[in-house]
Amino acid sequence: MTETKLQPEAKFVQKTLGGLSSLITLIIVILVDLGLGWFTYRLLQLGYYPLSIVFIIIILFLTFVFLSPKAKPLRWMAIGISALILFSIFPIFYTVYNAFTNYGDKHFITKTQAIEKIQEQKYLPTEGKTYTWIAYQSSDKSHYLLFLKDQAGTTYLMTQTEGDKGGQAIDLVTGQNGIGELDADGSPKTIEGYTKMNKLLAAVDKALPTIKFGPEERTIQISSPNTAAELLPQFNYDAATNTFTDAENGTVYRDVNGTYSGPGGKELIPGYIANIGLENFNKFVTSPGLRGPLVTIIIWNFVFAFLSVFLTFSLGLAISILYGDPSFKGKKILRTLLLIPYTIPSLITILIWRGMFNPQLGIINRIITDVFNVAEGPDWFLDATLARIAILVVNLWLGYPYFMLVTSGALQSIPGDIYEAAEVDGASPWKRFFKITLPLLLVSVGPLLIASFIFNFNNFNLIYAFVGGGPPIPSATTQAGYTDILISYVYNLAFGSRGINYGYASAISIFVFAIVAVMSLLQFRFTNMWEEVGENV
Amino acid sequence: MKKSYLLFAIVVIASMVLAACAAPTAAPTQAPVVEPTKAPVVEPTKAPEPTAAPVEPTEAPEPTASLRIWADEQRAPVLNELAAKFKETYNMDLVVENVSTIRDSFITAAPAGEGPDIIIVPHDQAAQLVASGLVAPLDLGEKEADFSPSALKAFTYDGKLYGMPYATENLGFFYNKELVETVPTTWQEVYDISKQLIADGKVKYGMVLAGTSYDAYPWMTSQGGYVFGRNAAGDYDPTDLGIGKEGMIKFATMAKQWVDDGVLSDNLDNTTAKSMFLNGEVAFLMNGPWELNNLRTANAPYAIAAFPDGGVPFMGVQGFLVNSFSKNVLLAQTFLTEFIATEETMLALEKADPRVPAYLPALAKLDDPDLIKIAEAGKDAQPMPAIPEMGKVWTAWGDALTFVFKGEKTPEDAYTFAAAAIAEAIAADTKGMVNVPGSWQAAGTAGACEDWKPECPASALTEQDGKFVGTFTIPAGDYEVKVALDGGWAVNYGVDGKADGDNYKFTVPADGEVTFTFDPESKLLDIKLP
Repeated sequence: MTETKLQPEAKFVQKTLGGLSSLITLIIVILVDLGLGWFTYRLLQLGYYPLSIVFIIIILFLTFVFLSPKAKPLRWMAIGISALILFSIFPIFYTVYNAFTNYGDKHFITKTQAIEKIQEQKYLPTEGKTYTWIAYQSSDKSHYLLFLKDQAGTTYLMTQTEGDKGGQAIDLVTGQNGIGELDADGSPKTIEGYTKMNKLLAAVDKALPTIKFGPEERTIQISSPNTAAELLPQFNYDAATNTFTDAENGTVYRDVNGTYSGPGGKELIPGYIANIGLENFNKFVTSPGLRGPLVTIIIWNFVFAFLSVFLTFSLGLAISILYGDPSFKGKKILRTLLLIPYTIPSLITILIWRGMFNPQLGIINRIITDVFNVAEGPDWFLDATLARIAILVVNLWLGYPYFMLVTSGALQSIPGDIYEAAEVDGASPWKRFFKITLPLLLVSVGPLLIASFIFNFNNFNLIYAFVGGGPPIPSATTQAGYTDILISYVYNLAFGSRGINYGYASAISIFVFAIVAVMSLLQFRFTNMWEEVGENV
Repeated sequence: MKKSYLLFAIVVIASMVLAACAAPTAAPTQAPVVEPTKAPVVEPTKAPEPTAAPVEPTEAPEPTASLRIWADEQRAPVLNELAAKFKETYNMDLVVENVSTIRDSFITAAPAGEGPDIIIVPHDQAAQLVASGLVAPLDLGEKEADFSPSALKAFTYDGKLYGMPYATENLGFFYNKELVETVPTTWQEVYDISKQLIADGKVKYGMVLAGTSYDAYPWMTSQGGYVFGRNAAGDYDPTDLGIGKEGMIKFATMAKQWVDDGVLSDNLDNTTAKSMFLNGEVAFLMNGPWELNNLRTANAPYAIAAFPDGGVPFMGVQGFLVNSFSKNVLLAQTFLTEFIATEETMLALEKADPRVPAYLPALAKLDDPDLIKIAEAGKDAQPMPAIPEMGKVWTAWGDALTFVFKGEKTPEDAYTFAAAAIAEAIAADTKGMVNVPGSWQAAGTAGACEDWKPECPASALTEQDGKFVGTFTIPAGDYEVKVALDGGWAVNYGVDGKADGDNYKFTVPADGEVTFTFDPESKLLDIKLP
């Protein structure tokens, strides 16, 4: 009977779990879920709701994929998809979400945290006293005594306040209550059952600051390494109205956009990250930053991106065509050398170029002053045109190896017989280049050109590291320079030297995203077009 | 397949529940519970044991806690050396982490519970962290008297101390002592010496500026220039902007003249300026103590003097701040007052990275001649403004000098334009503000506002149910008041809600609370007297 009962179960196990490997999968899934679940719980506890929702989605997704036989093919991509959700899709949604909040200076924490922090604030009532303290701990570490000295020099020994019992003051008489001899500072050297704690030991004790000492009606708490005082909570929170009331004088603080504000503009610290609707967008649209240098910056942004692509592509193509010449010697070594700029981290290259362009100390100006025998070389950082030229030169250096690689590959794929036919027909080398090489090349390289354009359109590293967007535009009332592109300009608007405002920055980045999205769309259009060209050829 | 879904659901739910159960042990919010069951262990019946050995108070605590500090690359190595000593003395670990963007990283790390217990930042950055509630107030106890009062003031916000200062930083007037024999005390002397040195072919330029704003400030102040004026209490007043005023323009005119005469280099880049001084291409440079180690390593023939014509630099104060989200706030504070605030530690910090100590016992023992000179140059230094408005000043203020040097603008145009841009940026913050400026402001805000200041936040009304309300305690007397919007006089309402109308007049019979209520519909102001 037992056998017949076991049979279907075993079958079930075999069917759904597929033996030992399935069991291992199940254990791993449970462990991973446990880990992620714990992480999610922490996030929820700290009030990071958007992120915890993402983690819940990922947990459900992973568990489903690894346990459901239906979703077996998805297993190969599960980790990748989870990473995509976490690192790509979530940041996009989070940016949009942030754009509607005041996340930034004064508003860095969640509402739960802010309320907790405000509730922690204490005040000393007018009749309240402050003391210096020394703590004593019972041998089983569960109870404490506090030796206090007020400003008049009177000393007290207080027991812990527990429940409704209230602590008590103990007379400091040697021989009574187990109190031993008094030290030089008037504190007992020993108290029976209790050990004197040194300052650091007391500071490490996490329970100590939370304990109330002395009589119930006027409890004393440790407030700092030096002071214990008869403190009371300063602000009482009313969850129903979402307001704080000052216990000292009754002032009411209302929640205004994530800051509890009282009459006369008084604000409680800290504020929290609050939803403020369209305010960030409103601020951007009406900001002086939009009126002023934006047109100059957008035009330069397009010019910069276009010229960067054009120049790097031209140079890269020219070099790979040169390689195509069979009479060319030492190709391999030269190619390796020419690839070097591509292998060095671009930030380092930018900083090296920046040093070379330095008007006073840079090698470029040293050469210019020596060769042309002039007192001073051109001011690469302060002259608008020169700074722009310098940036294009640096970008050319950074970008040509990429197109050299790409085009040399693409050139191989163009069939040689077309050239032979053209030669037979008497086409000149230039004609061959423009009529055969370039159109065929663009079929395969075209999308890459657009991608490179978009990359350079948002090439924040180069602009920011080279001269920080400078030189400044004289007519601009906001921080803006002649080499600033949109992304570096909005960075200055949102961060710059004027504090941190993630909410505002998110709102602006949505605008930039819109521009880039339009260009990506164009890319798809162009890609289709070239494909058609390709088919025709 | 149904069963597999069931299994799936069970696994998910079980792991969530397990995770939730497991979590509280690690949750930081959990408060330690005081056992209420046990009675106080005071037993008066028991005879005292006179034999009990005195408890050694210096006994090392168990290494249950450790402290994490974020410091920049200059200070981290010093603190790392101290960590070994700390471990030896207290048997506790001090983890020093070298973080280059302390403020920005701290802002995200602290609320997430990942921040360090202590950070070291200059006081103007601390202001922002305090306003965001990320820093715990400090109580230095009796050690407070050992610190320079001006340094303490720099870390005091709203009457509370939030940082323990350890060093002050300000510029000094550096000169090349091989080239300059007599120390100049006026800018005219600097000019004459420079001219002579250039004529003798000893230097390329007489002087170079290491920047356009902070690094040129002592020259500006010597000509009467300033950024923000100060009110009676000594606090910076953002409504008194000195950028477009005479002193600043006088400085720029002078500097431009020097550039045209070839005495001053037109370079404004910090690194370049320092290299030029190090290479002996210039004789004079206004520079700070952070450059001392470099100059010493290079064996540069430098010396330091006070600024010509009584120029004063800005003063920055470096200090230790305690993370308000730290689980060891008390320990961190104890560490600061017991271990860092000692003559030995403070002098060790000073030796490793020369800065003028803010700790007076260490300052008294200061024997570094360069630092003594720096301290002298900064004896009247103005604290770097820690008000948020300062953030809106830097770029426009600095760019003005660039335009002057390039000849794109006259000094007057450049600085008045910069002042207008800064004023506009500051005003953008008060957009939407409803204020009731008047002759009551100073008396009714305990001096936080001056009278008739429409941009003063302390007298602003707050929105309640569509109306703007504010209650202030005003002493008895006769007053006048008006309603002003957006922190300026551009839109203001007087009696009967008339734009640019007459002032409201009111008399407070006895000291008491006056409530102003502004109705944005009718533009009328209601004044409720006590």
